[in-house]
Amino acid sequence: MAQLPDGRALPGKLLIVEGIDGSGKSTQLDLLNKWLIGQGYCVAFSEWNSSPLVKATTKLGKKKQMLTPTSFSLIHAADLADRMERQMLPALKAGAIVLADRYIYTAFGRDVARGVSPTWVRKVYAFAVKPTVAFYFRVPLEESLKRILGGRPKLKYYEAGMDIGLSDDPYESFTLFQSRILEEYKKMVDEFGLTVIDATLPLVKQQEIVRQIITPLLPGALRAEPSAWREVLAEESVYGRYLDEVLPGRSTP
Amino acid sequence: MTEIRFYGEGLAGFTREKPLPGRLIVLEGTDGVGRSTQIALLREWAESKGYAVQSTGLKRSALAGKGIKKAMRGHTLGHLTTNLFYATDMVDRLEKIIIPALRAGFVVLTDRYIYSIVARAMVRGVDPAWIRDVFGFALVPDAVLYLHADLPRLIPRVLNARGFDYWESGMDFLPFRDYYEAFVEYQTRLLAQFEAMVEEYEFHRIDATGSIREVFQDLTVEIERVLADMRPVPPQEAEKELAEAKAETKVGKRHPKTENEVTQG
Repeated sequence: MAQLPDGRALPGKLLIVEGIDGSGKSTQLDLLNKWLIGQGYCVAFSEWNSSPLVKATTKLGKKKQMLTPTSFSLIHAADLADRMERQMLPALKAGAIVLADRYIYTAFGRDVARGVSPTWVRKVYAFAVKPTVAFYFRVPLEESLKRILGGRPKLKYYEAGMDIGLSDDPYESFTLFQSRILEEYKKMVDEFGLTVIDATLPLVKQQEIVRQIITPLLPGALRAEPSAWREVLAEESVYGRYLDEVLPGRSTP
Repeated sequence: MTEIRFYGEGLAGFTREKPLPGRLIVLEGTDGVGRSTQIALLREWAESKGYAVQSTGLKRSALAGKGIKKAMRGHTLGHLTTNLFYATDMVDRLEKIIIPALRAGFVVLTDRYIYSIVARAMVRGVDPAWIRDVFGFALVPDAVLYLHADLPRLIPRVLNARGFDYWESGMDFLPFRDYYEAFVEYQTRLLAQFEAMVEEYEFHRIDATGSIREVFQDLTVEIERVLADMRPVPPQEAEKELAEAKAETKVGKRHPKTENEVTQG
């Protein structure tokens, strides 16, 4: 059950995924999302850093390198707060399944790695709903570095932790920064009871484990009728050629 | 500044240092009480006394000022988001404007500080402990001058200036469709919150019901008291020091190789 900060239970389920870059968590959540929709559940999906009201400010701060550890922390908290107030909480109250790609633990990991006080950042996020299950995709640092750096990508300034001056070399900085974050995740497994998934297992195996864990939680979750129009088409002999205009998600049942 | 104190845990990366030579002076009070007029007058007055003066206020940060204003236009900002957005704005100004200016010996005048934000949050039912925790990074100022006037005096001032505003009338949460009724109810509740904070935050109450000149004179008496033990740093000297400090942080924080994005190695 998802829980409000004051302990009251919410009818919906909040399932979140965490892990360092390259842990494969987004892929797993995406697979889960498609499966749940296919099972007929009403699913809301929320991504880190995606609030329509806040993200332009975050983007500006990153582009112009204006963010300090504290302002970095607060603007990301504002982003989650907006998604919480307008998207996640209403869906959870309605009994839906809410999937979140990264959650408060990402903030705790990154912000503390940047030198922000661990107690303060936990207080800032005290508004956050307690997830039903928080999956932590655990991967050794070397493996995640291989996955991320293998293609020699352009690393962004904050992504590589260049703002805290660990190293002048972006790849070295990224490595040091990720290892700090990994240390924080290690501590959080017990502190928050994260459900650890071995992210070195084959993708399919990981997904199987995730589904096994959440299946018992699903009965009672809000169901949607994503394909109610199919029946009409079959019975009324229309093609539904204009349905695309009103049902943008039609092609993905 | 006699000593560096924060309301809570303070700022990440802010190392304990010797007292800042400048002074941080806050003007607080509800909408229409005349804060911005007084700051404009006080700024000139302090400059004429030989002080370097920096003024700031809510929603003026380079980082979040525009973003908040834009988000507020849509009237869909929730209570938590609003507070965290304002906190972002506050910390950006604290780190980029207020503290550097205090280090360089400026008198910093700020139009509102955390108290307005806390009062608005409290009126909206936000957890009082949470909002204080969030703003635990705020520096305790040298003086909080609380301009106080009763509602009947505020209403014509607000009407003359710009009329009733959606947020200043609490239209986002009060059960009124009428701006006037909402404004009266909202500002009444805000005034009660400010009253409740007088002791907690050591406000110095200034009667703002008199003429602009009378209020100005009362304010200068208080500010002179705050500045009494301060050696004025000549504006040119203070500006120079500020520019040097800014240049230093740039060198220290930005690696020349990573001006914007790191290119392929």
